[in-house]
Amino acid sequence: MNNNWQLLIKYLPIFIPIIILELALMITALIHVLRHPHYRFGNKVLWIIIVVVFQIIGPIVYFAFGRGDDSRG
Amino acid sequence: MRTLPTMLRKELLETWRTYRFLILAVVFLIFALMSPLIAKLTPDIMKMSFGKSLGIQLPKPTSVDSWTQFYKNIGQMGIFVVAIMFSGTMSQELGKGTLVNLVTKGLPRWVVVCSKYISLLLQWVVILTASFLVTWGYTAYYFPDHKTPHIFLGFLPLLVFGMFFLAVILFGSTLARNSYSGLLFTILVMGVLYLVNLFKAAQNYNPVTLIGDNMAITQGTKTLVKIAPGMAVAVAAAVLLVIGAVAVLNRQKL
Repeated sequence: MNNNWQLLIKYLPIFIPIIILELALMITALIHVLRHPHYRFGNKVLWIIIVVVFQIIGPIVYFAFGRGDDSRG
Repeated sequence: MRTLPTMLRKELLETWRTYRFLILAVVFLIFALMSPLIAKLTPDIMKMSFGKSLGIQLPKPTSVDSWTQFYKNIGQMGIFVVAIMFSGTMSQELGKGTLVNLVTKGLPRWVVVCSKYISLLLQWVVILTASFLVTWGYTAYYFPDHKTPHIFLGFLPLLVFGMFFLAVILFGSTLARNSYSGLLFTILVMGVLYLVNLFKAAQNYNPVTLIGDNMAITQGTKTLVKIAPGMAVAVAAAVLLVIGAVAVLNRQKL
């Protein structure tokens, strides 16, 4: 266990930006899911779960395939 | 001619408001950050999972491993994400009919194609350069060795490949009525190019070589001149595809 902590601290300069980027992507997608309740398929709960649970992939899938038409709301 | 900057601004605004730029930037930056990390951690992960039963001594990771990861991530996953994000760039407007008003008021159709292509290129160059700089910085910090002397030369083909790849996406998107068939066109083209790559004689002329030989060039085992034909083919094909997209759009019913 001790060894793992050493690794974590040694590579903190990489881990911190990765975590920040993942969180930024997740939060952007989450806000979009909540504000635009029309989706091409699925419902709000499904997309919230996808966006939060699947880091990086979830928000990409949502913006690429799940997002509804902007003109409808 | 004055319409081109206006349309370009519209395209850039669109890519910002639809989060395409943001997603691509984040994904590419994460790839760039992961590359040195994975290179550094692979021996540790192997040790952790095999313990002492692993008989062989693992070689210490070098900057070569870091850049290999970078070009693998961008060249495979990265361009696929680009294809997914941009496959609807023209077909969505055709499908929704948002171009009808502009074109009937006298906007030339080539301006539509060119503004889209320039905006795609700008995004590609900005995002790719940013991720390259990130990987470069971390690799220099964590792997202070001299095993990768030609970092910039290895990176150049990837930039040129983008010119070709984005033109393929734009052409496919103009042909298609929805973003899925546009994506399919891009995947088909890449499939064909990978098949062509099986023939040794064609390899240096194949645009795929621009995302395959980056490591050889970075390490100095292959010179940039060797794949210059591939670059020329890629640029020529990009120009032809953009012209083709204009021709297709001219015949397309909006």
